[in-house]
Amino acid sequence: MKFLIEHQADAPQEGRLLDNAADVLALDGQLRGAALILLQFPKWTDGRAYTQAALLRRRLRFRGEIRAVGDVRVDMAPLLARTGFDSAVLRDGQDPQAAESALRFFGPAGAADTYYQGDAVQTHPLFARSAA
Amino acid sequence: MYQYNDTDQRLIVARAAQYRDQLQRHLAGALDEDAFKPLRLQNGWYIQRHAPMLRVAIPYGALAARQLRALGDVADAFDRGYAHFTTRQNVQFNWIALERSADVMDGLARVQMHGIQTSGNCIRNITTDALAGVAPDEVADPRPFCEILRQWSTLHPEFAFLPRKFKIAVSGALEDRVAAGWYDVGLHLTRDTAGNLGFRVQAGGGMGRTPIIGSVIRDFLPWQELLNYCEAILRVYNSYGRRDNLWKARIKILVRSEGERFVAAVEREFAAIRDEDGGAHRITEAEYTRVAAHFVAPAERQHAAGDASAEAGLDAAAQRAFALWAGRNVRAHRDPQLRVVTLSLKRAGQAPGDVTSAQMRAAADLADRFSAGELRVSHQQNLLLPWVRAAELPQLWRQARAAGFATPNIGLLTDIIACPGGDFCGLANARSIPVAAGVLARYGDIAELLDIGDIDLNISGCINSCGHHHSGHIGVLGVDKDGAEWYQITLGGADGSARAQPAGPGKIIGPSFAADEVVDAIEAIVDVYLERRAEGERFIESVRRLGVAPFAAAANAVRHQTAEVTS
Repeated sequence: MKFLIEHQADAPQEGRLLDNAADVLALDGQLRGAALILLQFPKWTDGRAYTQAALLRRRLRFRGEIRAVGDVRVDMAPLLARTGFDSAVLRDGQDPQAAESALRFFGPAGAADTYYQGDAVQTHPLFARSAA
Repeated sequence: MYQYNDTDQRLIVARAAQYRDQLQRHLAGALDEDAFKPLRLQNGWYIQRHAPMLRVAIPYGALAARQLRALGDVADAFDRGYAHFTTRQNVQFNWIALERSADVMDGLARVQMHGIQTSGNCIRNITTDALAGVAPDEVADPRPFCEILRQWSTLHPEFAFLPRKFKIAVSGALEDRVAAGWYDVGLHLTRDTAGNLGFRVQAGGGMGRTPIIGSVIRDFLPWQELLNYCEAILRVYNSYGRRDNLWKARIKILVRSEGERFVAAVEREFAAIRDEDGGAHRITEAEYTRVAAHFVAPAERQHAAGDASAEAGLDAAAQRAFALWAGRNVRAHRDPQLRVVTLSLKRAGQAPGDVTSAQMRAAADLADRFSAGELRVSHQQNLLLPWVRAAELPQLWRQARAAGFATPNIGLLTDIIACPGGDFCGLANARSIPVAAGVLARYGDIAELLDIGDIDLNISGCINSCGHHHSGHIGVLGVDKDGAEWYQITLGGADGSARAQPAGPGKIIGPSFAADEVVDAIEAIVDVYLERRAEGERFIESVRRLGVAPFAAAANAVRHQTAEVTS
């Protein structure tokens, strides 16, 4: 997972910017070839983009980059990584190193025995992993 | 009871470390209150009237004696020597300094306890029947499914910032003792015509400003698909639940406004999870078996032989007191040699659901001595001992009485459900505890309480409804008018248990009552019942037969401060 600060980030026009109320399943055809999709957090406590990312990765098998933009804070890092985001543009005043360390409390994303439930990276729940 | 393995333990230890880091950054000024608040809430930390409040989860109400002792230690070391059991199988502390909060979490983690997702807009502590696994009317034991749901919902990355809080209750019995209709999702274990086990799924129930009973959105869901189906419900809710208005953000509003379209969207998403994503969370037979193995009956309690002459050694007066207690506080068990005993946390001088650290240790000792070291927390805010030998009831009764747990009032008027109210809670409009104390003081005579019989009196200090006033046969709601405390009274609400079918909200009987009128009003309402009840009729049945009018008239007659409002 890559953390960017605002002025380092690629300009939004390089990627496809989606409203967080957009139904990614309905947009499937338009998104398929995109290299970069930007998902928005208008407030960091508005969690719709986690579902958008999860659906892009799991249901639509999107292989391009998914980036979080908006009110993105370091403590969101584990959730972003697990729902399929590759990168995040941190809002003003957020420290990329703090975001990196926020990822480490539970071990690396995709580690086999960290979390109970499956996610966009480790698709199977803990109980089904040895068989997966 | 479920025993943590290394993974379970590592996870809560990691969570405690994560919380400590967040707290330290907050205390150092690097994380402002706006940023810290949702993080601390998801670990159970509110900022309340006097100090932070900590809500600790007791997953599906199962509590080990050693955990209860540890809670007593927290009360002594960090709080003021007591705690409060809630209507959602949680326990709350009210006086812990935020600076010490990370130390508390470390201590709780050592006894496999935590505050993860006990607050915030996420999937909350899973609740179930306090009689789970011991009830004679059980279709199947709900606890393995509760534990599987607990694991699935813990730190779920997609559903940590929902539009609003999300509560799931699981019932395994014929009688709904979990108030499933009042939950965001209520799951009822059931069997289809072929005998397969599964769930009837209710969704969209809730209290608050808009009390709604959940709709049945699926008559039968094979148990293997429980997680996949919940994922579908949560995903639809996360995508389409309202976020523009706090009071319209619960799933009940989405279910009510969308109706069949909501059900269709869930079914469509469920089919896609199953067929397109591969249904990764299908519960395997092996996983069910692994988890269920934690919930076998304790061997030491089986084949419970013993002296069946239960009352041996009691004199005549003690026999009468014992019989009263056994009649109200002892319930049948699926094992005919065993009983379930309720330790009443409703007694004069203490708030409903409150326990001191000494009482916590005493209850833990009773659990060790009589119930294989296990207790349950009920949504009525009492403690249960689920594995008591029938032959040991008199001994248990003596010890429970000495510890102050043997008030024989379970299900009676003084078995009050109440939130902490304005004495503690920063959200409350009015205090709950003085109303409960007033009722407890007025109804101290057990013969009178027995004559009044089964009745649910529920008190909430505000519309957030932590005291479940909507489902009270008598409900009391604290409201604020011009900075003064007032109380709205409702009649005829029901939680959905066998004594009051079906679940539903009560009816408001008129303008609010002043604080010094409310206990008189309750007494006037109860007196109407005593005068007009039919033979064998319970309070709730009289209210339903007579309507609220005669009760409202009697309650209005006791008004003095509010007389001009109603005349």
